[in-house]
Amino acid sequence: MRKLEIVVSLVLAGVSGPVWAGHAEDDWPEPVKSYRTGQILFDRLEVTRTDNDEDVLVWDMLAWYGSDRNRIYFKSEGENQKDDGEPTELESAEVLASRLIAPFWELQGGIGTRGSLASGAERENYLVFSLFGLAPYRFEMDNSITVNEDGDIAATIEAEYDLRLTQVSYLQPRLEVAAALTDAEAYDRPTGLNDIRVGLRYRYELSREFAPYIGAYWSRSLGDKADQIRAGGGDDSETGLVIGARIWF
Amino acid sequence: MEKPVEAGRRRFIKSALGAASALAMARMAPTWASPLGRSYSDVVNANPAVDLHIRRADMNIGGKVGRPITINGSMPGPLIRLKEGQRARLNVTNSLADDTSIHWHGIILPENMDGVPGVSFPGIKPGETFQYEYDVQQNGTYWYHSHSGLQEQLGHLGPLVIDPADGDIGADREHVIILSDWTFEDPHEVFRNLTVAEGYYNYQQRTLGDTFADIRRQGLAKTLEQRSMWNTMRMSSRDLLDVTGSTYTYLMNGRDNATNWTALYKPGEKVRLRIINGSAMSFFDFRIPGLEMVVVSADGQPIKPVTVDEFRIGVAETYDVIVTPKSDRPYTLFAESMDRSGYVRGTLATEVGQQAQVPDLRPVPERGMAAMGMSHDMDGMDMSSSKGDESGMGGQHEMHGDHGGGMAASQQRPSAPDLGIEHAPGGHGPAAAMIARNPVSRLNEPGVGLEDVDHRVLVYGDLIGAHPWPDEREPERDIELHLTGNMEKYMWSFDGVKFTEVDGPVEFNHGERLRLIMVNDTMMDHPIHLHGMWMELENGQYPRPRKHTISLKPSEVVSLQISADAPGSWAFHCHLLYHMKAGMFRVVNVS
Repeated sequence: MRKLEIVVSLVLAGVSGPVWAGHAEDDWPEPVKSYRTGQILFDRLEVTRTDNDEDVLVWDMLAWYGSDRNRIYFKSEGENQKDDGEPTELESAEVLASRLIAPFWELQGGIGTRGSLASGAERENYLVFSLFGLAPYRFEMDNSITVNEDGDIAATIEAEYDLRLTQVSYLQPRLEVAAALTDAEAYDRPTGLNDIRVGLRYRYELSREFAPYIGAYWSRSLGDKADQIRAGGGDDSETGLVIGARIWF
Repeated sequence: MEKPVEAGRRRFIKSALGAASALAMARMAPTWASPLGRSYSDVVNANPAVDLHIRRADMNIGGKVGRPITINGSMPGPLIRLKEGQRARLNVTNSLADDTSIHWHGIILPENMDGVPGVSFPGIKPGETFQYEYDVQQNGTYWYHSHSGLQEQLGHLGPLVIDPADGDIGADREHVIILSDWTFEDPHEVFRNLTVAEGYYNYQQRTLGDTFADIRRQGLAKTLEQRSMWNTMRMSSRDLLDVTGSTYTYLMNGRDNATNWTALYKPGEKVRLRIINGSAMSFFDFRIPGLEMVVVSADGQPIKPVTVDEFRIGVAETYDVIVTPKSDRPYTLFAESMDRSGYVRGTLATEVGQQAQVPDLRPVPERGMAAMGMSHDMDGMDMSSSKGDESGMGGQHEMHGDHGGGMAASQQRPSAPDLGIEHAPGGHGPAAAMIARNPVSRLNEPGVGLEDVDHRVLVYGDLIGAHPWPDEREPERDIELHLTGNMEKYMWSFDGVKFTEVDGPVEFNHGERLRLIMVNDTMMDHPIHLHGMWMELENGQYPRPRKHTISLKPSEVVSLQISADAPGSWAFHCHLLYHMKAGMFRVVNVS
């Protein structure tokens, strides 16, 4: 938590202290004040039915606070399989400081953790750097590199695209690719491409803030990771149906 | 055009409730906006002092109860009528919970009477009364509004008319028409929605169906080329107004469409309509189907008469028109928002209760490539000029949809000076999502959505001052400012730097004559307002028209001559309220 405090204070230092640009008495208010705002966004909050008839609750959310140039982000993804007696699996929980470096791109850096939420479970802590923003053709992207305490380096790319069907409904293709730059045996991440997941969701906005959706996804493991799974008698690909909502406030 | 179901339903509910509440509304709306207007023989009541009382009050707006800021009990506030040459004394009492202020928009007055908290004075604290006092040295149609926070969005505004010293208004009767945009949402919530969710209020975006329609109409190759241009830039050709009819109820003198504000006339009378755009975020296109209008004044300043059928009025601008209805019938006063997401209408009639046919909203317009400042190298791709390419119009900048405006020109329009602005991409940092690659003068274009209308539309190039202004010196110095924005993050600024980030005011030397060059490096229209001094628009006409607010089209460059004759600190900003709030604001210091 100490790290978090440092990050927060660093970011806010960058935000504060507007320079008064007019000629005025000291006790006059500023004609235009600086402002900060924030948002909590559940981009995906969904129930998944896999092709193995498992029901899984999945979340993918972020929250931010700050100005237009400097922000603090909290991002989290995870899932909990229903009735399997296992604890919730945290794919990521990250706190990042963010700086707008180009009109459509934020450079973000911070710390994160992932692993089982069971009490006493050993989680993987890591540093994370992200390039977060809007690519040409309006692809929403979150590209991250993580380095854990053992020095293992991993990278993920997430991209979404909103194809507008009507003023309030969208078809959203989604792509997620995970790769490891170094061999992280303890976390099942052999060097090379690890996983790919593609999804397609149809979303309908009841309001801008609340948009239920249905969709499907297909994921498979790749390279050495796929070999390892098959060697262990597992299935290296999965498909599923999802129902959920995109919610912000 | 497809209309969202929600909007249609909302409109229906509004009109059903509106009819029932018309009577209640009539009591709440300002008394000055009386159907009779003011006939020429009226006596100007130049009281020694005007008292204005600012407070929140419940009010029926379009069939729903809102809580606007009222001035002397009405929203918009009272018509303040002054006379050229008098000394104005205006006592403003604040009964709000927050600080307030009144800025006299377009009035030449001392620095400490201009009413901008933090620039001209500290503002008016709750419970306090502030006495404004200044000599009235001009005449014409103006308005006043709060310059504190987002109070303007709550209706803290009203008309200000100054009669000429000789009392001659050049007509038999006159009516004041102030247009405004009302939302039942908290203005701070509106601002937050704009900052966290781009396009929150835009229910007129392009859909997959529009792309298919384009392919059918113009072929796959051209459609792909166009889509690729916009998508590479991550911008929308339907990004016309940030806040739209999806939340706004547009008002004419405080009345909604169902209440139908009515102005009376007698057949054969010359009627002067003083039209003020007092809205927070809405450009309007104003017309009176069946009646031509002679524009005689822009921003309160007399111009040589121009006959038109329609004009676009930017936020904070004013136009005076003379109409002479001959036949005994009602006419619709029709103000359509620039993005066609809504309208407000009233009626010019011979009896109260009459109404004329209300036109349909026209299709949602789309910005062409000219908006991207690609006119020189990409002219063949400009959608809006597809019919005009072969029309043989000479200048580069006239190739972009000028044919609609071309019909309006009874006189030959000269060109504005070519200022040859060039700059490299990336010059304004992350606060500017776009650079106009090749900014050009667009003063002879009527603007997006009006390119192809089959009647006369006013353009800035039509404006000719009624007489020369006192300072005939050539400008000694140029100052160049770029209008910059990043829609995705809702950042708005000059030169890529928000007001809260700049290190000092823009310096004018007292007594100098200077040329202000503005380049619009954004995809939006911006009404830019300079306090305290006139801006003479270099539109190639002489005498130049002079204005307090100048609207810039996307990728447009304009130049203005200014006499820096008003010592002190003055606000200079985009008059779109939420753009100003986001930082598109500077202080000009004349010393």
